[in-house]
Amino acid sequence: MARSNPPFMSGVPELLLLRLLKQREMYGYELVRAIREVTGEAISLGEGVIYPVLHSLERDGALKARRKGVGGRTRVYYSLTKKGATRLERLQNDWHRIRGGITTVLESPGHA
Amino acid sequence: MPEPDFKMLARRMLDEGVRPRVVRRAVGEIRDHYEDLLVAAREDGLGDRQARRQAAQALGHPERIVAAMSAERGLKTWAFRYPRLAIVVYPLACLALVPAAPIVAGVDHAQALARWGASLLAAGLVTAGLLLVMQLSILFG
Repeated sequence: MARSNPPFMSGVPELLLLRLLKQREMYGYELVRAIREVTGEAISLGEGVIYPVLHSLERDGALKARRKGVGGRTRVYYSLTKKGATRLERLQNDWHRIRGGITTVLESPGHA
Repeated sequence: MPEPDFKMLARRMLDEGVRPRVVRRAVGEIRDHYEDLLVAAREDGLGDRQARRQAAQALGHPERIVAAMSAERGLKTWAFRYPRLAIVVYPLACLALVPAAPIVAGVDHAQALARWGASLLAAGLVTAGLLLVMQLSILFG
């Protein structure tokens, strides 16, 4: 059974989606599978919930979408734009900074 | 978890003010996603009923999807993004359109109106003709 995500996970799906789409274009189902695989199922998403994030990123110009016929079905493939790459870089920096701060607090004997 | 009702999902998103174009595409993608989940569950050896239940569970509760969609303000129609402005603009726009409404309706039904006008003209001419005959018969009768 997948564990539910803690409340501070807000914003993480966006970071993961941008990072995965940096590698290659993917459609929604592929992205969810990739998140599951890459995170070792540590992050569980209600899978339908990624579509609002994808659409919002597309609206902001961070992603672009195109329809592509694969195996008799039409899929909506998403890919990273230049704006998306910049956004990813900013989010990654934020993430590293926050992670560094939290790690310091958690590992400091004075705060144990 | 009940099997997703995609029509209901679309209606709920529209109720929340999500733009119709976004709703159409998102629901299509979610439906495809559900189909993919079903195929995967069947490939794992699950029976049809179990596969449907598992796929619906993985997809997440429809209300959570609606809530996530609704939380993305940029995906909503402007009237839902700026409700106070909409309350002012909509009635004013309707008021401004009132004088134009008969013209618009007239253009839309131009053929019917032309037929109706021609019929009235013909009826008027016949009536005038009859009255003239009566008048002449009184004068010269």
